[in-house]
Amino acid sequence: MLISRRTIAMGLLAASTLIAGPTQASEKKDLKVMQLPIRTDGPKSLDPVEGSTTYDNMACAQFYETLLTNQYASPMEMEPLLLAEMPTTEDGGTTWHFKLKDNVFFHDDECFPGGKGRKIRSDDVFYSLKRLADDEYKLENWWLLADTILGFDTYKDEQNAADEFDYDAPVEGFRKINDLEFEIVLQKPVYRFLYILGMFQTSVVAQEAVEFYGKDFAENPVGTGPFILDTWVRKQSLTADRNPNYHEVLYPERDAWSREDKRARLHRAAGKQVPFVDRVEFTMFIEDQPMWLEFNAGKLGYTQVPEDYFTEAFDRSSKELKEEYLRAGMRPHSNKLLDFTFRGFNMEDELLGGYTPEKRALRRAISYAIDLDEINETFYNGRRIVYDGPIPPGLDGHPEGGTSKAAARGRNITKAREMLELAGYPNGEGLPPIRFYTSQNTLNNAVAELVKRQLEEVNIKFEAVFSDFSTLIEAINKKQAPMFGFAWASDYPDAENNLALFYGPNEAPGSNHYNYKRPEYDAMYEQILTMPPSDERTAIYEKMRDMILDDCAYVGGMARERFYLISPWLLNCKPTERYYGWFKYLDVDDSKRE
Amino acid sequence: MLNYIIRRTLYNIPVFLAIIFVVMAALRVNDPVSAQLSKNPTEAEIALKRAEFGLDKPFVVQYWDFITELATVWDYDERSWDQGIRVSEMIGKAVPPSMAITIPTLAMSALISICVGLVSAFNRGKSVDRTLMFLAVIGMSISVLVYIILGQYFGAFVPGQNIDGWPFQVTVDASAGESAFFFFNPKNWIAFCMLPVMINVIVSLGYDTRFYRAVMVEESAKDYIRTAKAKGASTRRVMFVHMLKNAMIPIITRIMISLPFIITGSILVEVYFGIPGMGRTLISAINSKDFPVIQTFTALFTALFIASNILTDVLYALVDPRVRLS
Repeated sequence: MLISRRTIAMGLLAASTLIAGPTQASEKKDLKVMQLPIRTDGPKSLDPVEGSTTYDNMACAQFYETLLTNQYASPMEMEPLLLAEMPTTEDGGTTWHFKLKDNVFFHDDECFPGGKGRKIRSDDVFYSLKRLADDEYKLENWWLLADTILGFDTYKDEQNAADEFDYDAPVEGFRKINDLEFEIVLQKPVYRFLYILGMFQTSVVAQEAVEFYGKDFAENPVGTGPFILDTWVRKQSLTADRNPNYHEVLYPERDAWSREDKRARLHRAAGKQVPFVDRVEFTMFIEDQPMWLEFNAGKLGYTQVPEDYFTEAFDRSSKELKEEYLRAGMRPHSNKLLDFTFRGFNMEDELLGGYTPEKRALRRAISYAIDLDEINETFYNGRRIVYDGPIPPGLDGHPEGGTSKAAARGRNITKAREMLELAGYPNGEGLPPIRFYTSQNTLNNAVAELVKRQLEEVNIKFEAVFSDFSTLIEAINKKQAPMFGFAWASDYPDAENNLALFYGPNEAPGSNHYNYKRPEYDAMYEQILTMPPSDERTAIYEKMRDMILDDCAYVGGMARERFYLISPWLLNCKPTERYYGWFKYLDVDDSKRE
Repeated sequence: MLNYIIRRTLYNIPVFLAIIFVVMAALRVNDPVSAQLSKNPTEAEIALKRAEFGLDKPFVVQYWDFITELATVWDYDERSWDQGIRVSEMIGKAVPPSMAITIPTLAMSALISICVGLVSAFNRGKSVDRTLMFLAVIGMSISVLVYIILGQYFGAFVPGQNIDGWPFQVTVDASAGESAFFFFNPKNWIAFCMLPVMINVIVSLGYDTRFYRAVMVEESAKDYIRTAKAKGASTRRVMFVHMLKNAMIPIITRIMISLPFIITGSILVEVYFGIPGMGRTLISAINSKDFPVIQTFTALFTALFIASNILTDVLYALVDPRVRLS
């Protein structure tokens, strides 16, 4: 009888617990919590050296930090994060001197003695960079530092050839001065190094944590970031709590904000210590509808505006937010992305490749026949920015007004016919069909039909080959795609990153998918690598841009403009896709949630 | 019976091995490494990835490795290429949320569609039958995606905006946390699973009702029904005792065919409603060419289908004394 009573009591207790829900929920009730979306199935790994996608970046940036970061108020500019000040250079930019902040601690974690996070030091920076060279991590992000730091390439080759990777072995270019100061010596001046030090893959990790968690380190982040991981349910959600020991990082001062930003009250928290919220909860959305509905129900702080829902919230022609959304207190925001979407040619292809006047004329004929403006109006409500050259708007080297004389910008049917004749295919006669590889989706199918119709007017036959994205990459990497649709998002706000796409040694499977090889172009690229921003460097950028346009290595390009909507209860929000360390600046006003 | 089960299981082993062979071979038509590379891959990175995935070995060796891994299922160590965690762990976490949707769906759709099928068959040719079948055809003709999109909008979003305390949520949010059994809490089940279950039931009703009606119509034309009616048995007794009992074989077949879906889940509903189940896990694996996950799911689905087939035969013998297992 006693047993059965106990059983009944336990049963009732279990049932009441189930119905009442976890007690943790009530404890978290009084906290400032912000709910944000991740538009896909989220990160693959929370280990910076294994990350490569936007979503890896978005997640890692909450837990880990880099030496430098983008400025929240002006994301194209860099500022110190783990450093006490911006690095200084000597020897014309070869030797970089760094000084770490004195008060930065790793998260409290059981990997440290007594579970108390320790101060970061110079050795942590060296260790974190050395992990990029370790083939245990598949060298996924080695390209960031390849041929850059003195002795680092040799170190990588030697250690990977050895039985065990020795993290204590010295690298000629790593010079420790003391626990907070160090130098990195480059093989030659490389200006982009500044941006590399702000990329999440170079985040500082603790050796103790990597060794303690081993294979599970990718799901147990121990960094210096503003948040500490609570739960990560892969492809579903990620929650994190405020780091109570976060070092001094202040909200940007009033002067840092533009007039437009001030109108949006983005300066309201100027000078205050961040983060403001106690907890952040990310939900992953594979489909757009649930994300859009959850945002409209006021359950998400902000959302990207999916293409299919744009006209629901914005006026199609003026791009102004509709009255009902304004009345609901929602705030729009848009970003011009550093995007380069294009239809590339494989310069090694028998039909479309090559540098002779005839081959060049054939590519230009195709380019003249394609009307990008019609594509933009038909499929993107005119929201894409069409421009000449591979350098997106906003960067040095982008042509004035988006047009360059060197470009074969369509649509110009007369020119297209002239070029076809010059190529040896008068009126398209004798020209085999152009095989165009692109990824399979409804939009691409429709765009391909439009391009086919445009090319038919000059008797160019166009044959679209649709495949899933990985098959498309495979075809491009193996140089099997004569023409292909692709896109590139700049890693950092410097045109050098986009011009690298045409650098000969980067040929497929590297990022030079066009397999474009011109020694004079390569020489100029090597020259700009060492140059800081200047008029002289911009002039070389323009020369390189026009060389590519003249050779017509692709048809394009276009850049996206991303629209956001921000809930009235989410404060300080200025979404950017240049970096993802900005969530710490956000705040919530729960009184505005209803 | 035990001998029968053992013999049928042994007969099905070659089928099981052949299905895995075909799926593994088909997956390798295209190189999966491309889907896993960084922005600027080098030949060295590609080679490392290939070696890590075991793709540098001959296909037969890869097949043998996978089969031997399956043979030690109690210590199954296949790891996801995409996420680096054990596939068994992924399945362990994904099965309960799927079951929170599929078990109620199967039970409710079978119960409702059998009843509707019976009523329809008994009123064959009358307006009740015509109306029910008209609705069933409409139900079958509309894409499941339409039900999901409209169901989510009108079943959760719109009333949620207008009615305080409306129980259905648009999607599962981060509050679900890590517990695989989150959806078995009644409050959570109503909030996140009930609407998807209702949509699934509506979708399956069209097909199931027509099937069960056809079965019942065939039964209703048999002599024993006429005899039962002649003896003065009530309509209810004729339908639910005589007819239903004799129609058990096709009913069991239909339900048993559906049984593996209890584990495998339903892809679209899980994706839209954010249910972290088997369907959502599988579609993510297919999108990222995560072969270990796809292969393991294939092996699991195949085993479930074989098991349900054998179980169906056993149930035939139990419900119909004329059936002998030999």
